Amino acid sequence: MHKYIIRRVLQFIPMLFLVTVLVFGLAKAAPGDVLSGEMLDPNIPHEVLEQRREALGLNDPIHIQYWNWLSAVAQGDLGTSMQYANRPVMDLIQARVMNTVYLAIFSLVVTLAVAIPIGIYSAQRKYSLFDYGATTFAFLGLATPNFFAGLLAIWLLSFQFGWFPAQGTTSAVGLSGFELFVDKLRHLVLPGFTLGLASTAVYMRYMRTEILEIKGSDFIRTAHAKGLTKNSVLYKHTLRNALIPIITLLGFEFGFLLSGAVITEAVFNYPGIGTLFLNSISNRDYPVIMAINLILAVTILLGNLLADIFYAVVDPRIRYD
Amino acid sequence: MKFSKFWLMLILSLSLVFVLAACGDDEEASGDTEEDDTATEDDATEDDGEDATEEDDDAEEGDSGEAQQGGTITAGMYSAPGHQFNPLFYSDAYEANILSFTHESLVQLNEELEYEPSLAHDWEINDDFTTITFHLNEGVKWHDGEDFTADDVYFTYATIADPDYVATGGVRTNYVVGLKGYEEYVNGETDVFEGVEVIDDHTVAFHYEEENIKMLFDTSFIIVPAHPFEGMEISEIPDSSASRDAGEVVGTGPYHLSDMIEGEQYVLTAFEDYWQGTPYLDGITWRVIQQSVMPGLLESGELDMIAEPNGVPASDFERVDGLENITTFETQDFGYQYMGFKFHHRTTEDVESGTINPDNWVENEKLSDVRVRQAIVSAINRQGIVDGLLYGLGSVMEAPFPEASWAYDPDAVTEYPYDPDRANELLDEAGYVDVTGDGMREDPDGNEWVLNLDYPTGNEVRERTAPIIADELGEVGINVNLRQPREAGPHFDAIEQDNNDFDLYLAGWSLAVGDPDPAGIWQSTAAYNYTRWNDETSDELIRKAVTAPDAFEQDYRAEVYNDWAAHVSEEVPMVFLYSADNIYAYNSALQNVKELPAGIYQDSHLWYLAQ
Amino acid sequence: METQSNQQVGTAVPPAKTEAEKSLSPFQLAMRRFLRNKLAIAGLVVLAFFIIVAAFADIIAPHSPTAHNYYNIEAKASSEHWLGTDSSGRDNFSRLVYGARVSLTIGFFAMLFTVVIGVILGSLAGYYGRWVDGLIMRATDLMMILPFLLLILTIIAIVQSVSITLFITIIAVTAWPNLTRIIRATFLSLREKEYVLGARSIGASDFRIIFKHFLPNAVGPIIVNATLMMATMIILESGLSFIGFGIPQPTPTWGNMITEANSLRILENNWETWVPPGLAILLTVLAINFIGDGLRDAFDPKSNQ
Repeated sequence: MHKYIIRRVLQFIPMLFLVTVLVFGLAKAAPGDVLSGEMLDPNIPHEVLEQRREALGLNDPIHIQYWNWLSAVAQGDLGTSMQYANRPVMDLIQARVMNTVYLAIFSLVVTLAVAIPIGIYSAQRKYSLFDYGATTFAFLGLATPNFFAGLLAIWLLSFQFGWFPAQGTTSAVGLSGFELFVDKLRHLVLPGFTLGLASTAVYMRYMRTEILEIKGSDFIRTAHAKGLTKNSVLYKHTLRNALIPIITLLGFEFGFLLSGAVITEAVFNYPGIGTLFLNSISNRDYPVIMAINLILAVTILLGNLLADIFYAVVDPRIRYD
Repeated sequence: MKFSKFWLMLILSLSLVFVLAACGDDEEASGDTEEDDTATEDDATEDDGEDATEEDDDAEEGDSGEAQQGGTITAGMYSAPGHQFNPLFYSDAYEANILSFTHESLVQLNEELEYEPSLAHDWEINDDFTTITFHLNEGVKWHDGEDFTADDVYFTYATIADPDYVATGGVRTNYVVGLKGYEEYVNGETDVFEGVEVIDDHTVAFHYEEENIKMLFDTSFIIVPAHPFEGMEISEIPDSSASRDAGEVVGTGPYHLSDMIEGEQYVLTAFEDYWQGTPYLDGITWRVIQQSVMPGLLESGELDMIAEPNGVPASDFERVDGLENITTFETQDFGYQYMGFKFHHRTTEDVESGTINPDNWVENEKLSDVRVRQAIVSAINRQGIVDGLLYGLGSVMEAPFPEASWAYDPDAVTEYPYDPDRANELLDEAGYVDVTGDGMREDPDGNEWVLNLDYPTGNEVRERTAPIIADELGEVGINVNLRQPREAGPHFDAIEQDNNDFDLYLAGWSLAVGDPDPAGIWQSTAAYNYTRWNDETSDELIRKAVTAPDAFEQDYRAEVYNDWAAHVSEEVPMVFLYSADNIYAYNSALQNVKELPAGIYQDSHLWYLAQ
Repeated sequence: METQSNQQVGTAVPPAKTEAEKSLSPFQLAMRRFLRNKLAIAGLVVLAFFIIVAAFADIIAPHSPTAHNYYNIEAKASSEHWLGTDSSGRDNFSRLVYGARVSLTIGFFAMLFTVVIGVILGSLAGYYGRWVDGLIMRATDLMMILPFLLLILTIIAIVQSVSITLFITIIAVTAWPNLTRIIRATFLSLREKEYVLGARSIGASDFRIIFKHFLPNAVGPIIVNATLMMATMIILESGLSFIGFGIPQPTPTWGNMITEANSLRILENNWETWVPPGLAILLTVLAINFIGDGLRDAFDPKSNQ
């Protein structure tokens, strides 16, 4: 067991290295740089742009650039944005990361709160009207591109009915306490549901299938045979087993939510990591692109590592040798 | 057993959340400041325009038409500023939006695009046209209460001329290169910048190395205070709080940046001690919004103004103009979109060494016949582009001067209306005929004649024109190879590093209003001369227009520019596709908005909300 | 971004045989079960309809999908333009018809190439195990660590300009890891089966074992995942179009058409522009999902209790 954990941790290190190479390589393979766009203003002397490139180290050999970047990152310095006038990348990310995290959490909570009960109920009442309704919703949810759902939501729920704000994370500066919380929550509703639409559909179907599968399995039959009540079987045995794979999926889901947020954030002009990434890609702001890719990759990598270790600890059925 | 596993997994997924949460814990802090200040703004933002005026100070005169004190407006922009609120280092149009309200220059442009007093109330120019002396207004205060003096002017220009300025990220050296002693100063040979002389607290002189006919343009840069940056290295300035943080950025303008939520809202609050009088409005809140929902927000009153840099898209004009509570204003943009002809390509060695030497250029014979270029411009329905894609809100040009400019003269140029027959004639005449019978013309030697057309993404209307142009040229038998569009950055790189097979390319220039001198783009040796057009007559006229002493007469310059425009329109070095109108929209309750060709931001301290 | 989700739905285990069904091959059995599934058949019909439309686009479409008209922009539906015109005055109906061709092509070939890569790598890893497996699995790990959409955006930024072929390639080189894992898992479970050991003991070549014994058994999960993947690709195309990283205009794709509705004006006034491509995507994806679900139930009778 300990051996397994140590080996797993040791595997993590070369992976981490490969990730940095990949992230850096991808960013550097892109042609053009942040100064390309500035040529649109002929008042800026041309030589200045060359001097700027030199100063930014854009003319150094690639391995030197990689090494400089890597050693800076190792010291926690993600560099400075080229597009945002030398602002530290960490600054830019800090100012937005919580917005995306709130959005992801909101969307996740909504997804689970909607999908699990409906999935259970559907499974209990297989082939009922409710089940068909839920199935239809699930299929529609999967088949609707989420930017499209977002546009419709803005048009209908924000402009026609005026229920929810369509843009941003707050309506005014200077709110605080409960007021701020409610305001932020209201702003999360449309993007949160939009982002969660497809996942809700997936989890709903997943839950239904899992429960049906477990209900048919031997140990549930045994439980019934033991004379346990229907409810007690459902909650004590079926549900718990059905939820385990869902929880495992959540680890993946988070990374997916963060990247799915690119499109959703763009629709709602929600200032998060997704819009920052999109903006940086369009402007060739390498330090920001690299930083976001790196942070997400490391987060997911760490998540996987923790998941494997947790599994090793809790599940004696898995042999590690 | 199962149960504990469930919880462990839950903890695991939550721990993922906290990994990320830990990265951004000090984000909340900025939202809690200045609560009493923003309480009123809060109300006004949610109300629509008419309601907002109800909060107006009732102590003021009740007559409509009289300026009312109070109220705030909400303005929108489509992208977040980059958070560099120091004019010396700012880089995007969104930052410029904020700076237009917080900072000022010595002189500003009026309706005729001539310079008029702003921070300087008067100036004189010496007889050799090498020195301009400004008399500054007294009693001008910075937002933090300090007095504005000539030292601030010196600081602004000396910083741009500093040896470390460019390395720190500054790009505006064009304002200082002509000043006396620039070379010595930028090379660190002296600590005193001779070019800007502080005569007394309210008098400052700019000395130029040579006669300068664009002195007012060169001295129109935004003035930055010296005191917040005292004792700082140049390299520290862009990251200092006086360049970045709300409440710390200091200017002389009618509003100061008091609060912000990054990427979303930028709150400007009236500056009570503004030298031209306290603004009527309490403040202006900038919000970052999606362009697609802009008309809806204007209609619902959540937004009171939409202006720079992109304004109302032409396609939404009708709808926005139809809104009862909204006033619109259109003015021709100073920039234009064009299709360039690559006359020459540079050699690979020249591109690598950054040399721009017309003697080394390789001619692109596919486009060297002027009749071919005239045929191409005649075959493109430019009026159609303006009428259709721009909904009529733009103009067709034949030379690179906007209508508002004094260099503009519609009678000087040759016009090329849409005329495919004429295009066919010209091509036949030039010997470009279809000899293979495939419907496409071959060159005079009977060889295949294909023109590559490259275009960038990013500008929606321009993007739409590319396939249409290829289509239209195809109709007169020109075989156009329309290539996949690139993103703007790499596209402009490719245009510049022109050791490639480009023939036709789409691009645009966004031009400052200061001076019509076309040398930066049109002189054959200019780096921005992307067409690599090498024409002696053109070069000579461009030089002639800025050669002293005649060039001090604007009429003389206008005349030379007419000759130049005529020559350009005859030679067709590029197809001027269109110049789009800038469309601004603002709440009709907002009074006293000055509608100038350069925008509507001037004298914003006089804006008020009518009852 | 929905890729992952869809593929999770579609993760199927290899078919299990019951005694009574042994006379037919698993594939024949599955097909028999599939044809009894009404929803799946409905899906097939709808998909067939779109395929026919795509195939005969030249005949069906009344106009060229790229012919512009400056003086008829954003026109309402008329007898000349059944679904009005778009922002360059192009005929929406013709674009919808040709869009079927492009969107289905993208969906199909992106899926096909992903499957090819996935099958090859998955087979290699699952069959040979050891360092081959280690290498391929580390590569999939690495690919899966970067969020799918961010990876695609980064690659599109590298290649700068996107054509249909390039677009398909980009998707295929980023989407393969999931399928690779599934196929590897299937192969691993087959490796120790008696008939495989038997085949090996009589000296069958690796190639023969993979093609004769492994792949037929993995065909269920492959088909199910491939179907669902195709649906995802179609949605992905429209999403990328929306954020400006899709196939550039004037190529007609359904995603490009819906992107025109990124404005309240169009959303409110010109339903002709966005409802039909929206419905087309919805119906196609729905149809493919039904087929995929039907296939899963067919190949994996356990889930269809």
